[in-house]
Amino acid sequence: MTVRGVLKTLSPLFACIGLLCVWQIASLRLDTESFPTALESIKAIPSILGDKGSLLNILDSIRRMAIGLVLAVMFAIPLGLLMGRIKAVAAFFNPLMMIIYPVPKAALMPIIMLWMGVGDVSKILVIFLGVSLPIIYHAFQGSKAVEEKMLWSGAAMGMSAPMRMLRIVLPAALPEILTGCRTGLVLALITMITSEMIARQSGAGNILFNSLDMAQYDTVFAMILIIGAMGIIFDAAFEKLRLSLVRWSQPRDDMPLSFT
Amino acid sequence: MNQERINSVLLGITPIVLFIALWQSLISFGFAPTSLLPPPGAVFGKLAKDFFNGDFLHDIAATLIRLFAGFGIAVVVGVFIGLAAAVSPAVNAVVKPLVRVLAPIPKIALYPALLLILGFDHASKITLVTADALFPILLSTYYGASMVEQKLIWSAMAAGTPRWQILFKVVLPAAMPSILTGCRIGLVISCIVVFLAEMITSTDGLGHMLVQAARTFQTVDMFVPLIMISMLGLILNSLLHWLRSYLLRGFPEV
Repeated sequence: MTVRGVLKTLSPLFACIGLLCVWQIASLRLDTESFPTALESIKAIPSILGDKGSLLNILDSIRRMAIGLVLAVMFAIPLGLLMGRIKAVAAFFNPLMMIIYPVPKAALMPIIMLWMGVGDVSKILVIFLGVSLPIIYHAFQGSKAVEEKMLWSGAAMGMSAPMRMLRIVLPAALPEILTGCRTGLVLALITMITSEMIARQSGAGNILFNSLDMAQYDTVFAMILIIGAMGIIFDAAFEKLRLSLVRWSQPRDDMPLSFT
Repeated sequence: MNQERINSVLLGITPIVLFIALWQSLISFGFAPTSLLPPPGAVFGKLAKDFFNGDFLHDIAATLIRLFAGFGIAVVVGVFIGLAAAVSPAVNAVVKPLVRVLAPIPKIALYPALLLILGFDHASKITLVTADALFPILLSTYYGASMVEQKLIWSAMAAGTPRWQILFKVVLPAAMPSILTGCRIGLVISCIVVFLAEMITSTDGLGHMLVQAARTFQTVDMFVPLIMISMLGLILNSLLHWLRSYLLRGFPEV
């Protein structure tokens, strides 16, 4: 690997260090009790991860998020594909989706809690609702854009309708579906944290907002770092998965526009 | 054609009607007590009545101010940085790693930090909305702009257009469909985030209304802000759609 290549792969790391430096300087300049420096916050991380209770809480959050995400993927992709291929299905679900989309799903938490309690079920349900919509939307857009000719050729070669769905529409729409899944992943994290903030029983969001209320500011910022790291790790893992699935659809390595 | 359109509208209204019918029947047949699930009539009646109530209008105004301020800043900053990153390799080298680190962080986790630094007022909420709406807009601007055909730029240069004008006359319009898609995603996220931020700490706004109602166990009042934010989202979305078809007139259908 060339020096340039090494620099390129390490660049996110430099970005992290740069951001932490900015934080450090800003908090030293502001010098208030409620804004600890980056170093203090990083020092507080081991005490959170070392504590068995908090670690279990964080793992609980991840477990709920994973279950919600998997359920949503299993439900949303078939529905989105059907919506894209069959006009009547799209006409049936589209207006309903338009109404539900801008409702913050975590805001349903107080109502769902009334029905299902504060346990896992209501949190997973809220995550499921939040993640489903973007995936449905993108699967819908993706399958609508599938080239008609490919379907005709498939039909001419004797593929049945469900087979065409599985072998032609699904792969062709996959890049778009995965874009939806990525939005879904981000929304899942947001929903996970807010649902735990509202039903303070367990989880990463619970630790974050409880320490805010108890004015343990270094824990607050350490938790923010942990949750941020979680986001980055999930995103990187997903990106890896996405690349291995849809490498064929990647555009050439993007070059900056030239003005010469 | 017209008949087809009517049919599809009818088909679209069906699930909404069914949904409300199911909601009503759950109560009518006694599956859900009205204290847990108020009847739809009561909720919509309350919503209509609230429209003549100053406090409710004040809450809506507060939410809208935060939403528009945050979203507006996100659009301006996102389009600007996205264009700059697509055009200049130097900016690209700085922005790309930063975006890769910052974009996947769930911004709502930053909210406690914003509260501690910026206080409990508008500023922290607007910043949160901006932070959340920024990245979809920035990324789609960047992709849209870097997909602009090089030939278009060369022809503009051959025609003697100054470089900085090419940016506004060629690159920006050509990237417009992608930018507007990013704005749409950003808008929905803004609606969600502003509501959540108000639920966490606030003294006014729709989110605050919901939390207040939940604490005092006023189930009817809990549904009103939810329906309101959904309606706001719909209205804003159709405004954006209208803007899109105005800005993209002359483009082949995208």
